[in-house]
Amino acid sequence: MIYLTLIRNELFKIFSYWRTYMSYFFILLLVPLFFWGFSVGGSSIERQLTNAMGDHFLMVGKLVNAFTVAYFVLNFLWIHIPFLIALVGGDVLAGEEAVGTYRVYLTRPVSRWRIFLSKSIATLLYTLSVILFLGIMSIGVGALWMGLGDLVVLQDGILVLPAGTAFVRFALAYGLSFLNMSMVATLAILFSAMVKNAVGPVIGTMAIVIIFFAISSLPLDFFETIRPFFFTTYFDSWTKAFYDPIPWDYLWLSTWTALLHIVLFLGGAFLIFKRKDILS
Amino acid sequence: MNNSNQLAIQTEGLTKHFGVIHALQDVSLQVPEGTIFGFLGPNGAGKSTLIRVLTGLIHASAGHFAILGRRSKHNFQLRQGIGALVDRADFYKQLSGYHNLELLARMSGHNKPSHLNDILHQVGLYNRRHDKVKSYSQGMKQRLGLGQALLGDPKLLILDEPTTGLDPIGMVEIRDFIRKIAEERSATIFLSSHLLHEVEELCTHIGLIFSGDLVAHGSIEDLFQHMGEITLDLEVTPTDVAEKFLNSNDLVQSCQQTATTLRVSILYENVPELLRQLARQEVNIFSASQKNRLEAFFLAQAEGK
Repeated sequence: MIYLTLIRNELFKIFSYWRTYMSYFFILLLVPLFFWGFSVGGSSIERQLTNAMGDHFLMVGKLVNAFTVAYFVLNFLWIHIPFLIALVGGDVLAGEEAVGTYRVYLTRPVSRWRIFLSKSIATLLYTLSVILFLGIMSIGVGALWMGLGDLVVLQDGILVLPAGTAFVRFALAYGLSFLNMSMVATLAILFSAMVKNAVGPVIGTMAIVIIFFAISSLPLDFFETIRPFFFTTYFDSWTKAFYDPIPWDYLWLSTWTALLHIVLFLGGAFLIFKRKDILS
Repeated sequence: MNNSNQLAIQTEGLTKHFGVIHALQDVSLQVPEGTIFGFLGPNGAGKSTLIRVLTGLIHASAGHFAILGRRSKHNFQLRQGIGALVDRADFYKQLSGYHNLELLARMSGHNKPSHLNDILHQVGLYNRRHDKVKSYSQGMKQRLGLGQALLGDPKLLILDEPTTGLDPIGMVEIRDFIRKIAEERSATIFLSSHLLHEVEELCTHIGLIFSGDLVAHGSIEDLFQHMGEITLDLEVTPTDVAEKFLNSNDLVQSCQQTATTLRVSILYENVPELLRQLARQEVNIFSASQKNRLEAFFLAQAEGK
């Protein structure tokens, strides 16, 4: 019961800041912009897809539909969404220390473990809500705007996924995205436990994400060896949800890697938070 | 020596190091239940460090403590039944005073609206309860800080320099409020301050800390008994007769005339005898006041340190 109370407190605090709503505003503005762009320039994309298929297929119906756009929208997950998630995750501990509210919050008769856990769960719930909002805006609003249809994916060739299957693939992709974004959120919490201001964790998290991406893309043997250990290596796992057959081995590996990183980041953050002397 | 179940706070060998800095050194302190205990020391002496250890904000390097007769290795369990205001009161500025209080009250299950409104009435913020804290003055935030400390009717209130940053009117308001709480709730109040007159005005017991060392603690009267020389201001007539007598009296170390009084240096224990002798000299004694008793005591301890 106390956990529910504390999680409620944390959600109440998170959603009392205007910056929390930036993620939703961002999705609310950019996703319709994508749909508008595709509805205006969709015919040329359709022509390109048809040309790529050559004479081997007979296409019936619209190639550019809500699923196609939702697939493109998922590319926000590389940088934009992580930044918005880090903005909230980075503030969850350091923000309290910066403004001095720890002095009233941590003197209540509740253990630091419970407070930490409630803050972490609230941050992950926020992360989940952003991914769900992205899904609802992409597929829900997209279905109303452009209708549904088969999903054409250009990935090592052309893959046409029937509309019925596409739903399942998107559910899997959003699930994997949530795990990946949870890694970002928990990394931000780890940084948040280390410092006394809320800006540092956001910069720190994004710096790590960008540096790891950059290192991952360098075609050097040494980096090839260590790349599997980077958490950013599995950021693209959602794209594999649209492969045929689905590479389950890779997805399980990415899932376990994500879970391991989440536990490590949260474990590290808790140890720091538990031992921390509040001097501000 | 008090039994531990009659003590609101008991520390044994409490020590805290920050690297090479010794913020608290082997502090063993007893605060009897039902007292207003003033914890005095210059800035940086270790007052806030001790309070932060007691409230779980800082981890002690060594030593133990018990609160309201309870010992626990889980620090948070000791915080049941205590209310604390540590340093300046800071809140979630984007939330109203009521929501801030509710948020904190939920953590200990004392979030009935009637209880919250009652507290807001007590601290004089009821009419502003729905305003965001960012619109509050520092005095109002400080009162809200006292309000959150009162959640759940605590038996022990720990207040760390509660008048910090307040104007003189705000200081008087907070002091009156503390006095009222002590009287109405018969709670123990542990109050740190570096304002000597504030402590003298409010407290029944004091503790003195210098550079992390607790140099004295006990009831004010007991401590003053062992003070040694004090300064006594006598309002008497005729002044010339009194001054002549005092200058020739063996009990008096020195006597000076000020604008309105005769200022006498004398050992504390000799004061009653001197006043008796003075009365026999057909001198009218209108008042005999020991100015800045605590200040004198504080400075004497500081010199000894």
